[in-house]
Amino acid sequence: MSRVKPTVNFIHAWQHPEEIADEVEAELRFHVQMRTRANIAEGMSPNEAQLAAKQSFGDFDQIKVSCCEIKQGFPFDLKPLRMGLYIAIACLAGGVALVAINLPHHSPFSVLWQLVAIAVLMRSFLAGRRKQ
Amino acid sequence: MGKAKAGLLQGTLDMLILKALFLGPLHGYGIGQRIAQISGDELKIEEGSLYPGLYRLERRGWVESEWDVSENNQRAKFYKLTRAGRKQLIIEEQNWERLASATMKALRAN
Repeated sequence: MSRVKPTVNFIHAWQHPEEIADEVEAELRFHVQMRTRANIAEGMSPNEAQLAAKQSFGDFDQIKVSCCEIKQGFPFDLKPLRMGLYIAIACLAGGVALVAINLPHHSPFSVLWQLVAIAVLMRSFLAGRRKQ
Repeated sequence: MGKAKAGLLQGTLDMLILKALFLGPLHGYGIGQRIAQISGDELKIEEGSLYPGLYRLERRGWVESEWDVSENNQRAKFYKLTRAGRKQLIIEEQNWERLASATMKALRAN
């Protein structure tokens, strides 16, 4: 269940990027305002307090960009998905290659097919080893 | 001698954010304040770096957020820990304790 809300947020972030950017900006501005107030309460002048708040916050624009990027990032770990996809493609390619190898080889065309099949099988095997 | 401020180890910020939220929902500024408070002002985090951390935790489903009204009647985004976040905090605390005790053991070895 904990993946439902992040997925909904992810879809929303892709559908309404400007809305997300505005929300992030409002949130970060709230932080700077709160820090400014605290600085004023500690005895700084309003200008000093705002400057100090901005400095202690860091690079506002860069942080905003980072937050928007994270919001639009895929909410799942893609590594297992990529690995599963790779295994599925390798199995499919291997199956096709095995069928091709078992074809009767009476013509140059079928011999070419077999060579392609052997190449595909070897490629799958080598790529699989590299991944490991 | 002045009190030295400890720098944060990589990955520690997430655990501190989870810990701060374990005590109740807070907005981003409040989280920074609470981390400073519960660490006895020993840990000062760069304020802006809190937000990418919070957004990452939300993407993982460990915290969730909603807009509400703050203590000074301003619109603010409040974060709270999810059930998955509570479980993760327990795991992070156990990992941290193991790491800290192993490091201490290594440092005290003759």
